[in-house]
Amino acid sequence: MSKTDSTFSWTVYEADKLTQREIYGIVLKDLGARHPEIVGLSADLAKSTKIGTFGDAYPDRFFNFGIAEQNMFGVAAGLAQAGLTPFVSTFSAFASMRACEFVRTDICYQNLNVKIIATHGGISFGSAGTTHHATEDYAIVRAFPNLTVIVPADAIETAQAVKKCMEIDGPVYIRIGRGFEPGVYTAEDYEFEVGKAIEMRSGTDLAIIATGATVYHAVQAADILKAESGISARVLNMHTLKPLDEEAVLKAVAETRRLITVEDHNVINGLGSAVADVIAASGKGCAFTKLGLPDRFSPHGYPEDLMHKFHVDTDGIVDKVRELLNREFEEAEDWEDEV
Amino acid sequence: MPLTDQELKELQQQAKSIRREIVDVTGWSGGAHIGGSLSMTDILTLLYWKYMRLDPARPDWEDRDRFVLSKGHGGVGHAVVLAQRGFFDREVLHKFNETDSMLGMHLDCHKVPGCETSTGSMGHGLSQAVGMALGARVLKKDWRVYCVIGDGESNEGSIWEAAMSAAHYKLDNLIVFQDRNHMMIDGPTEEVMSLEPLADKWRAFGFETREVDGHDMTRLAEAIDEALRMKGKPFMILCDTVKGKGVDFMENKPDWHYGGLSSELVEKAKQSIGE
Amino acid sequence: MALSDEQLAGRIVLRAVLPVIKVMLEDDPAVKKAFENVSGTVQFRAQDEEGPVGACLVFENGAFSVEQGIRENPDLLFDFPSLKSMNDMFRGKPVLPRLAPLLRGIPGHFGLLVKTFKVLLGMKILMPNAKPKTPEKAYLKVKMSLYMVSTALSQMNKAGDPDMHAWTSKQPERIYQWSVDGTDIACYLKMKAGNTKAGRGIYTRRKPFVHMRFSSVDAALPVLANTVDTVSAISQGLVINDGSPEYGGRIGDFMMKISKLLT
Repeated sequence: MSKTDSTFSWTVYEADKLTQREIYGIVLKDLGARHPEIVGLSADLAKSTKIGTFGDAYPDRFFNFGIAEQNMFGVAAGLAQAGLTPFVSTFSAFASMRACEFVRTDICYQNLNVKIIATHGGISFGSAGTTHHATEDYAIVRAFPNLTVIVPADAIETAQAVKKCMEIDGPVYIRIGRGFEPGVYTAEDYEFEVGKAIEMRSGTDLAIIATGATVYHAVQAADILKAESGISARVLNMHTLKPLDEEAVLKAVAETRRLITVEDHNVINGLGSAVADVIAASGKGCAFTKLGLPDRFSPHGYPEDLMHKFHVDTDGIVDKVRELLNREFEEAEDWEDEV
Repeated sequence: MPLTDQELKELQQQAKSIRREIVDVTGWSGGAHIGGSLSMTDILTLLYWKYMRLDPARPDWEDRDRFVLSKGHGGVGHAVVLAQRGFFDREVLHKFNETDSMLGMHLDCHKVPGCETSTGSMGHGLSQAVGMALGARVLKKDWRVYCVIGDGESNEGSIWEAAMSAAHYKLDNLIVFQDRNHMMIDGPTEEVMSLEPLADKWRAFGFETREVDGHDMTRLAEAIDEALRMKGKPFMILCDTVKGKGVDFMENKPDWHYGGLSSELVEKAKQSIGE
Repeated sequence: MALSDEQLAGRIVLRAVLPVIKVMLEDDPAVKKAFENVSGTVQFRAQDEEGPVGACLVFENGAFSVEQGIRENPDLLFDFPSLKSMNDMFRGKPVLPRLAPLLRGIPGHFGLLVKTFKVLLGMKILMPNAKPKTPEKAYLKVKMSLYMVSTALSQMNKAGDPDMHAWTSKQPERIYQWSVDGTDIACYLKMKAGNTKAGRGIYTRRKPFVHMRFSSVDAALPVLANTVDTVSAISQGLVINDGSPEYGGRIGDFMMKISKLLT
């Protein structure tokens, strides 16, 4: 049957109306009420990136620059120089690659107070395919001095990060998904500190270090591993990629001696490499495995399917841990329908 | 206000002084982007000595006019202007290019008083100038933004993105000068990557455009006066200039985009410029 | 071999619709009381090209189960000349057959017959156009509809429906959850590599892949009746589709197909 027969069908662009999870747009709007120096910028993506919520509330402080990202980031630098605090939003692919030099040279080099909300990171824009996937952005922006890089685990954490931006003097890069990612937190009532990883689950058999959309999967994997295989896995939400919480990594090395990193990003120069740097520099022995996208361009597909395909979802983490710890698992399946 | 004869004379003298010092700095530093600095000297002299609202003692003065050198490689020219205008001690010019010096090929806004932004890579400054002009509007300020861009620089797409957005946002507090010296590193602009018809392009992009001789201060001043009265559109003063202007052996030579000068050549150059 | 629409509808009637009678027996006080001390078997039988198909309702003093297949000596027999006529009865069409040739064993089980008819009439509440008159009836309608749909989806897969099976065979372990806030109404569909299982309550071993959360019983009614499209339903706050919107859409498509088969 045709996909459009059902009242349940919708197009990619309507889907933006359905992302009730993504609350940062509302948070930014609230911040805007208390901080008249905040201005918002978009490159024809106001709705998809949710910055449109701010734009609708403050049309005089919101500027669309059309599909011209390089200019937009340059303008953001100029606005910051004039004394304002610009929040600039576009897809991660365009923020990190198309406008790379403007982010680095105009914003980071000049250490300006520009806050970048890079959406649709990793393969989260699944159906759009490789051109819209940002699978190298951690690698690129981690190397920019002066930049704080935050990858929130879910919408609530994104709201936290956006608020924290106002306390950070200098440029910030916040990388999020498309807005349909499952929630990890139920409220903002937890301590969120830039640069401090959050221990989601305690454990001593191994440590799973995750960031962004993979945190949900790491937590679920840890729970399944505990319930079904008696494995006690520590889960660290490494929401700040730069500056990395080296102390948390070293603690995990010392207390579990086995680390697995998982990210919606290429295995080259992302979270895994950042953690590996710390381990190598410490001189301590430790088993180490990186889960991430391989060094191949990602195909198009629904993001959940792609994450499964590349083993960075719950099943991927569970399977890898069982493999590393030589634990087999036979699932007793009952497929009878309940009444 | 049209320039009086007295003003014109003083400004022309000032321009000569700047040109001579640019030559000196090129000599001291071992090499600089001299050609493109000499071509824009008259524009900068007019701006810094007649038009811009500035206080060298307060480089961060909130209500100052902003100047953005988008063709950031003209740093040596800008540095001399800032020094002679009193933003910092002229002695520092002797250290141009040295490690740990405040001054290098591309000025660093964190180090150089009076420098608004660290440019160097082509096609960045104009966007930032747009941002500043937009910022002035948001903050309801009446300071203006003056920006000098290169012609070779206008190969960069981002220049046109910036132009499009300036017109879209009707930034009449933004005045852009194109230092049209017709030369780039690999040769004349029209041979490397042609730009003509350039004035037509600016008009098509929504800029009120005037074409003037970039070394005729009277005409330049007239154009600036017009620009200051312009409402609802950004302004482009397309300055026909000569690369290496003032030094006879450099004029119109792409080779002098960047060069070093022996003490002998320094003397020759200064003589050509005159007192 | 692909089932015809009537065969698929028949399967849904027997395996997904009839079982939700259990909800009425447990949650509707009048029905519960009526069947408290009733024991008996009611056989539904329909003639299909490949032979008779059917299911038997087994009442045992308040307990209830549905036995698939044809019992030898049921207390009551609802016999239909074709799958279509049985399906039509559940589509709310006036299929009430001539009693005499179609129903046997009436004399000794008149009470069971009357009560069963009452239950069947009560099930009209499942029809999209049926508007429940009380909050209790609304609760029943939503609960029965969701239970029915979750099982129907699973049965559709088990029946080898090509569309459904093609889809489920590519899925890793995923849970599709339905629930209504402020009530105990919850059911799920688990699928993995071509297998499906409908379950009751909130699945606990894993978080749901798609969770369709209705904000209340009243909010669920228009959505289940397809009188409001999902985008509007979501923006009005009637339902939240938590999880993959594409897969939420797919499940919605299949829910719609079931709805059409039973209309």
